[in-house]
Parts: sequence; structure tokens; C-alpha cells
Amino acid sequence: MNTGKPSAFVRARSELVLMIFLVAELIIFSAFGRNFLTADNLSNIVRHSTEIGLLALVMMPVILTGGIDLSVGSLLGLCAVLFGTMVQDAGLPPLVAGGITLLIGGLAGGFNALLITRVRLPALIVTLGTFSLFRGLAEAITKGTATYSKFPESFLALGSATFMGLPVQAWIFIVIAMVVWLLVHRTTFGRSWRAIGFSPEGARYAGLPVERRIAFAHVMAGIVAALAAIILTARVTQARAEAGTGYELLAITAVVLGGTSIFGGTGSVHGTLLGVASIAVLTNGLSRIPSIMGVSRELSGVLTGALLIFALSSGVLMKFLSERRARRQTSRNPSTTSNA
Amino acid sequence: MKRLLPFLACASFAFLIGCGQSSSTPPPGTAPAGKKLSIALLPKSKGNQYFVTVRKGADKAAAELGVELLFDGPTNTDPAKQNEIVENWITLGVDVIAAACENREGIATALKKAQAKGIKVLTYDSDTMPDARSFFVNQATAQGIGYTLMDTAAKLCGEEGEFAIITATLTAANMNEWRKNIEARLKEKYPKMKLVDTKPCDDQKDKAQQETANLLGAYPDLKCVMAICSPAVPGAAEAVKQAGKAGKVKVLGLGLPNENKAYVKSDVTQAVILWKVEDLGYLTLHAATALAKGDLKPGATSFKAGPLGELKIEGTDILLGQPFVFTKDNIDQFDF
Repeated sequence: MNTGKPSAFVRARSELVLMIFLVAELIIFSAFGRNFLTADNLSNIVRHSTEIGLLALVMMPVILTGGIDLSVGSLLGLCAVLFGTMVQDAGLPPLVAGGITLLIGGLAGGFNALLITRVRLPALIVTLGTFSLFRGLAEAITKGTATYSKFPESFLALGSATFMGLPVQAWIFIVIAMVVWLLVHRTTFGRSWRAIGFSPEGARYAGLPVERRIAFAHVMAGIVAALAAIILTARVTQARAEAGTGYELLAITAVVLGGTSIFGGTGSVHGTLLGVASIAVLTNGLSRIPSIMGVSRELSGVLTGALLIFALSSGVLMKFLSERRARRQTSRNPSTTSNA
Repeated sequence: MKRLLPFLACASFAFLIGCGQSSSTPPPGTAPAGKKLSIALLPKSKGNQYFVTVRKGADKAAAELGVELLFDGPTNTDPAKQNEIVENWITLGVDVIAAACENREGIATALKKAQAKGIKVLTYDSDTMPDARSFFVNQATAQGIGYTLMDTAAKLCGEEGEFAIITATLTAANMNEWRKNIEARLKEKYPKMKLVDTKPCDDQKDKAQQETANLLGAYPDLKCVMAICSPAVPGAAEAVKQAGKAGKVKVLGLGLPNENKAYVKSDVTQAVILWKVEDLGYLTLHAATALAKGDLKPGATSFKAGPLGELKIEGTDILLGQPFVFTKDNIDQFDF
């Protein structure tokens, strides 16, 4: 048996499971949910999942290299607060403040990358540190209590207006999704991220600029986390230090659910998108079935967890079953050994 | 199969978006006759015992009035959650949204969006911006709280002697408003009583206990300690108890009955003041139903809420009435 094949097979399998799950969700919620399949509700789903979707999109390349970034949720909070103070206290126009915020996000991602690639600390430890550091800074700036809510209407449109029938943030999401998809699936960046995930040493011997490629993924994560912060601020019309709490784990869940190996090396951007969509539709749909409305958020946590375990183990289970079948056939027919 | 997946993924998104275009949310409030009114109640946080009690009252009213009650709220401090829940309710097509607002400004946009869709909006417990709702169910005015605290303290002390206040911080806006009313009532009605000191406890029980111990040392004739932030009530009681002055120095304050039950029953704390939280939920549901049926209109000056009777409306505030005094005799009837 070829060793490359089963993993590709396992990955495609978890995407297939998700696809079936998503279609099933749509059918069930359309039938039993109250006003589920309406334009307003679908744009709600998109609006409410854009920030986590963006984080998942950039988390995916990081995980593909075998790394992790636990700091994106905290960075989102920090960027939201910085953006808020720049607009409200310093009086900068949102466009300028937004640009500076993206820059800060990139620098924060670069700081993670520096510690990971130059000081050679494990990504888990580095980003666990910045997870606390960024959130702590956000809380220090607001002293735990200040919030920012004086934003011009033109800026708030980013969170609530529609453009060509879709929520504004959906267009931003589509652009970022296409960029990341092309990077991962159509450029040498994607190939080197995968190679690094399979074996960093091997990638280094093959002459790949391993450090620079890892750093690129982290800087991209930082910039997009800042972008998510701006979008969230526009949607909630308020910037607070707690913004984005726990989002990093939701993003990681979507990525892993979408078939990306947590050890790196394999994964797809469309899988991640499916992961994001499945969770977003699940959370929204459950809150529309009358009998379980009150506990929908708790239930969606339980089901997401169950789905994650099922989607990941189904591939392994299928492989196990097919191998056992093959073994049985060989033991029944000892003469013909390898036609299974 | 593998090559097809990206396209399938795209197709399913297109499906999602496509379906969205073809149908739209039915306007609320135009439900066919016979359909139950649907009222959505938003707490600041779902697990908080205070809001669980609000819900109890709301459930009771919903059953009596024959309306459907949806109760949902955040389980953590994520500031985006209240907005998301409101936005979901808008597309769900509820008739009324009643919200206890965690973020005064933050939630206003979502509530205005609901109003624009024809959904009636009111707030309870904590208000939003006045233009984002029709009415605010106000559980207690600053005057009601201040006067009740002072009157109760005077009754406990026989209308004479020294007393001291423990507050959260000297800058907290709501507590300063209460203090102003306490002092006004003191000046107006109780000339033989004297406020000797006001100490901040930073909303911490430990600090309240320490400050109370200091006060007991500094003013040997002190007759009463008034704690106006909820952690300070059990804090002050513990200090009085440890000083062996239980019963001699009276303790009263603004807090939750459950946090103070042990002290009230052992007669260390004589009075706990708060509104009847269950009634707050009950009244909110009554007001929401009346608003949806057109029985409660802007400009009204009073509102009849079933067994609660005729309640006053000041401006756009529906007043629950005077705060309630929990004492040894009645505290066992309440669980929040």
C-alpha cells in the first residue's frame, strides 16, 4: 500500500462527512426551524460567523505547518481596543485607524513568528504566552472598564450594510478566502507549508526557507485577526477588551473539523470553509427549533464536539474496516496475496 | 471525488446564498389571528440566579396571559452575544423583545434594527439608549432606594444616633445618586441622626469587613452600618459579628436575600433591601404583552399589571414601586 494515499483518503472522507452533515442541517432546519431559510437569517449566519471564519482561514496555514496560534482571539481584543481608542480618543478617521490596526496586527503576528523561528520556542508555548499578553494589554488600556462606542455611521455600515445583496463583510470574507485558497492550493507557499508540516527537517534539507514560510503564516494570521477585530467592532458597534474571547478555539475546531491534520502536512481550505459553515449553521439552526430554543447554545457545543470526534474518527474507522476486510480476504485465499 | 470537493463546497455556499434571495422574513405583528404572541426576554447572563428569578416571574405571567416566552441570553462575557441573540430574534419573527442591557450603547443598534422591522422593544433592569426602546421597566428609582434605606435605618435605631455608610467606590455614579437621596431624607426627617463616615470597599466583601471593623473601633457609639453595595452587606455583618456587637450595632443594606440569609436569621443583619425580582419579570411580561396588543401606548401615565395593581409611569419608565425590605420574618419565602 502507498503511504500517501490513505491520508488523502482520510482527509477527503472528513470533508465528505461534513458536506453530508451540512446538507442534512439545511434540510432539517428548513423543515423544523422557525423562519430558518430566509434572506435575513442567512445573512445573520454570515454576519455572525465572519470573524471566526476569518480566524479559521488564517489558522489553517499555521496548523498546516504543524504549528498553532492560540493568540488570535486575544489579538482580536487588543486590536479592537486600539482601533477604538484611535478613533474615539485620538480622533483618527476610521480608514487611517484601520490601516494602523492592520499594521499592529501584522507586527504582533511577527512577534509570535520571531519567538518561534529565531528563539526556537514551540508555537504552542509562544502563542500561549501572547494569548495572555495581548489580552492583558487590552485590559490594561481600558483598565478593564472603558469601552469605545463613538464611531461614525459610515464606519458602522461595515458591520450592518449589504452590498449587491450580500452583507458587506461577506465580500471581505470571500476575498480573503480566495487569497488563502490560492496560496495554499495553487502556489509554492502552500506546497512548502505542507512540506514543513510533514517534516520541517526534510523541508530544510530540500532548500525551503522554512523560517520565512512559518513567519509568513503567522504575520498573515495577525493581520487578519486585526481585520476581524475591525469587522467585529463595526458589527457590535462597540470595542471592548473582552472581544474575541475564546474565538481561537472555535477557529481551531473549524480547521480540524475541516480535515486539516493537527500535526500538519495535510488539509484543505475548502475543508476549513465547510467546517466554519457547519458550525455556524448548527448554532443558528438549533436556536430556531421551538422545543430546544432555550438551550440551543449549550446543545450546539455538545453537537459540535460530537461531530468533531465523529468526522475525525470516521476516516480512521473506514481505513481500519477496509484493512480488516483485506486481511480476511488474504487469509481466506492464501494463494492470491495482494489483489485487495 | 477529491477533485470534485472544492466545487461541491462552492456549490453548497451558492445554494445557501441562493435560497436566501428567494424568500424573506414575514413581517412580525401580522401573525394570523389565534397565533400566540411571542415575547423574547433577554437577560444579561443566563445562569445568574437574579435572572433565573426574573424568568420565574416571567414564566408565571406568560402562562396567565397565554403568550409564548422565549428566554435566552449569553453564558459568558462575550460582548457580541447579546447583539447576536437580538438579531436572531428579529429574523425569528418575535413580536416583542424585552432586554436587560449589558452594554448601554452596544446593544442599541440591534434594538433599533428590531424596531425598524416593526418589533416592539422595551428594556428592564438595565436600560439602553432611550431612542432604542419604547419603555423601560424600572425596578427602583434612586429616590426609592435612598429613602427606603434611610427610613429603614431610622426605624432600626429609634430615629436617633450615629450611623456610617459602606459604599463601593466614592465615584460610582449610581451609588452617589443613592447617597444624595439618603442624605436628603436624613436632613428632611431625622434631625437626631448623624452620618459620621462613608467608606469605600471597592465592591469587595473582605475590604467591607475590614472597613466596618475600623468604623466600630473609631466610633464606639455607632448604632448602625448601612452597606449600599451588595458584597458589603455580608462583609459588614461579619465584622459586627466578630466584634461581638451583633444586635447592638444594626446592619442593613442593599443586597440579595440569599447572600445574607444566615446573618439575617442569626439577627446580625436586620434588614436587606431590594426589589422583588420575580415581580420584575412578571411586570416586564405584562408590559410587553400590553405593548404588543396596543393597550400600552407612549404617553401613558399609569399601567395596570394584573395583581401588581396600578403602577406609575414616569416619562417612559414603568415603575415597579418601592423597594422591598427583607427581614427575619419574610426572608425564607424568597430564593435569589
